[in-house]
Order: sequence, then C-alpha cells, then structure tokens
Amino acid sequence: MNIESITMVELRRMGMYDANHQIGMWADCLKAESSQNTSSSAILEEQDGGMENLSEDARLGIVGPSKPYEQEESKPSDKVIRRLAQNREAAKKSRLRKKAYIQQLELSRIKLVQLEQEVDKVRHQGVYIGEHIDNSIIGYSGSINPGIAAFELEYGHWIEEQNRQICELRAALQGSASDIELGILVENVMKHYDDLFRMKSIAAKSDVFYIVSGLWKASAERFFLWIGGFRPSGLLKVLSPQLNPLTEQQLMAVYNLQQSSQQAEDALSQGLDKLQQTLSETIAADPLSASGMTNYMGQMGQAMGKLEALVSFVDQADHLRQETLQQMYQILKTRQAARGLLALGDYLQRLRALSSLWAARPRERIQDY
Amino acid sequence: MQKTLPYTQENPWAPPPSPAAGATGSPVTPAADVKAGMLSKAVAENPVVVLGLRGCCMVHVVRRLLQGQGVNPTVCEVGDDAEAAALAGEIAGDGGKEGGAQQEIQLPAVFIGGSLVGGLDRLMAVHISGELVPILRDAGALWL
Repeated sequence: MNIESITMVELRRMGMYDANHQIGMWADCLKAESSQNTSSSAILEEQDGGMENLSEDARLGIVGPSKPYEQEESKPSDKVIRRLAQNREAAKKSRLRKKAYIQQLELSRIKLVQLEQEVDKVRHQGVYIGEHIDNSIIGYSGSINPGIAAFELEYGHWIEEQNRQICELRAALQGSASDIELGILVENVMKHYDDLFRMKSIAAKSDVFYIVSGLWKASAERFFLWIGGFRPSGLLKVLSPQLNPLTEQQLMAVYNLQQSSQQAEDALSQGLDKLQQTLSETIAADPLSASGMTNYMGQMGQAMGKLEALVSFVDQADHLRQETLQQMYQILKTRQAARGLLALGDYLQRLRALSSLWAARPRERIQDY
Repeated sequence: MQKTLPYTQENPWAPPPSPAAGATGSPVTPAADVKAGMLSKAVAENPVVVLGLRGCCMVHVVRRLLQGQGVNPTVCEVGDDAEAAALAGEIAGDGGKEGGAQQEIQLPAVFIGGSLVGGLDRLMAVHISGELVPILRDAGALWL
C-alpha cells in the first residue's frame, strides 16, 4: 500500500469521526432543547466551536502525510487549504441550519399535540363550531355567515336541553311517575323538536346547502342523511320494536305510517332528482360554441331561480318529519309515547357518541426525526 | 305516464273539448278569463287536478305521491303566479259570494272531487294521517 492510499484512508476515517461526533452532538442538543429551550443555541455555538478546533487540528495533522500526494503540484496546496477552509465554513453553516430546523420542528410538534387535545375536548362537548369554521361559517369568500353561526350556537344549546330531557324521561319511566307527569314531559319533548325544525327553516334561508348537507350533525348521523335530516321511515323501522307491547290496531297504524312516510319520501326524492336534472340541463353548455358564452349570464340567472326550489324541498322534508312525529303521538298512549321519545333521543345520543369515539380513535403518529 | 296538459287537451276523464276551447288550446298563454273557465271545467270534470307552475319540481312530487296511491292526476300548468292568483280568485268566486277576499293560493295546488284540498303541505299532512285514501275514494278517483 503506498502513501497515497494510506492518506485517503486516514481522510476517510477522519470524515467518519466527524460524522459520528456530529450525531452525538445533535443528540445532546435535542436533550438540551427539551430541558432548556433558551440557552441551547449558546451551548451549540460553544460545542461547535470546540468541534471546529478539533477538526482543524486533525486536518492539520493530515495535511502532513498527504503532502507527498500534493507535491506534484505545489501551488494547489494553497488552493487546497482554502478549499478545506471553505468546506469547513459550509459544513458549519449547514449544521447550524439543521439545528435551527430541528428546533422549530420540536416546537411545532408540541403545538400540534396541544391543538389535538383542544379539538378532542371540544368534540366531546358535542359542539362543532371549531370544526366547521372552515367549511361553513367562513365560506369560500372568507366572510362569516352570521345566520349559520347563530344556528350552530343555538344547536349547541338545543343538544344540551335534549340531553337533559332524555335524562328526565328515563328517570320518570324507571321511577313511578304518573301518566300526567309523563304527559307533560312528552309535550315538552315534542315542543323541543318543533323548535329544532323552526331553527332549521330559518337557517335554510341563510344557507340552504349547509342544511341539505347536514353539516351541523355528527359524522355518524350524517351517514343516514336524507334532505337535511333523518328519514322518518328509517327511524320508525329502528325504534318501533322497542314500543312493544302494542295493540293490533296500533301495530297496523304504525305499519301504515311507515308505508305512508316511505311513499312521501320517495315522492320527494324523485322531485329532487328532477331538480338535479333540470339544474344540470340549465347550467350545461358547449364550452367551445359562441352561443355558449353569450348565454352564460342568462343560464346563471335561470339556474339561480331553480336553486330557490331547494329551500322548498328542505321545508317539505322537515314538514314530513314533523307530521310523522305528530302521527306517532296520536297513535300511542302517553306512557308508550314517553318510551318512544326516550328511545329516539337515546338512539341519536348513541350515534353522536359513536361519532366522537370514531374521531378520537388512536391513529399512527408521524415519526419524529 | 300522465303527460302534463296545458289548458285544453282531451284526457280520459273529461268529454272531448268544445271547438271554442280547442281553438285556444295552444301552449302559448291564452286570455286569462278563458283559462279561468277552463280550470273550473277541468276541476269539475276530473276527480284529481293539480295546478302548478310550468317546470316546477314540486308538481312532480305531488304527481308521484298521487300516482303512488293509484291515481292518475290531471295536471294544469300556469306561466306565473299572477295567472295562478287570477285563477284562484275565480275558483273562490265560483263557490263563495261576490266581493269576497281573493284567496292566496299556494302552488302546486291540489283539487280533489271538485274542491281545493290545498298545497303540498296539506297533501302530505292528509296522506300521513291516513285521510287521503278515503278522500280519493269518495271522489271516485280510485278504481277500488
């Protein structure tokens, strides 16, 4: 082995020593940062300065044996020294940048954890204002829709009152409340649902797409969405088994109600399909034709008129929900109605709880550097 | 499938239209009083009549709902709300006294057995409460 290869080996070994030492340095810096954010940069400088001295000495040590390699060109030795100095500077700057970057990542990670905790906390309270800031209250234009903001606030209160009423119903049914007491509770719950439909009707005038898409609802509730709410026939199917025992007449009546609701839902769905069809026909045009461009505003105007009909659909769907609820109230005796409303409220609570659990489920965290 | 009819056309329920009515039977808007008369005629001669704005999707909903009950409704279309209001006044004037307040008619409007039942709201309510089928049967709209 000649002198040249020995020199290269030494150079390489020197490089490795550098790298290892640097990694050890970073590890120390991270520990320093997590314990003490303030003076870490000072520590870094110091250590780095020490490191630099070390490498300089080592490198000076190496320049000696490498001289025979360099002797063929005596002038380039100055160039080499300058090049090595530049390399040192560049490497130092790179290390500093890397440290600053890691420091920032660490701070961001802490912030992210805090935000996640906040979001989970708010979710558990069943109020979704924070979540919806992006897609509803602040629309694409960046301005806040006050009608919808008001609705979401009211809905939060509505849910609180709903939960309280459910507890009251449960206690009354498990205890020995009289039919009169149950009757009052039932009436309160019915009025409470009327309040919700009233709120929805006002909000629909503010932003019908928000209502149609059920954006205020929990995710599992939204899974069952039909024109801004639940299908009355669907809820009947789920909950009527819990109403037993029912008389023959009542069973017939409930079954007929389910059928009627289904028919009404189908009629509304078909009407909505027709609206979709006419809307797309109104809006669509050949982008390359001249007439397509001249008709543009006319088409938009027509389409705007068609969209007004969407508000009617939301109103009719909610009207159907109210009518179905009222009819059940007619069919059932007081105690049965109380059990029915408890079953309905409990079922919706479970769907909301499921949504929260799903949102908070553990997921793979992004690996740290 | 029931086609929507502008004012004149013959339909299975009514006798063939008179020549005068036939002359003005085009989809282009004829005179208001002639139309009013034709609406009264349609309502008198058909057990189920739906009055609605042209191109309205709610008319579709009403029609589907009635067809689901086994009924083939006669659909009459108007061009705009003003025409509908004129017709409503005429219908109300027929039954009631002269000088009575003009009824605010909500479109689409459903007439069963010659009298006004109401809008889609009312139709839904009557359907859910189970009263729709008896009303239809009494008007002779159902085959059963």
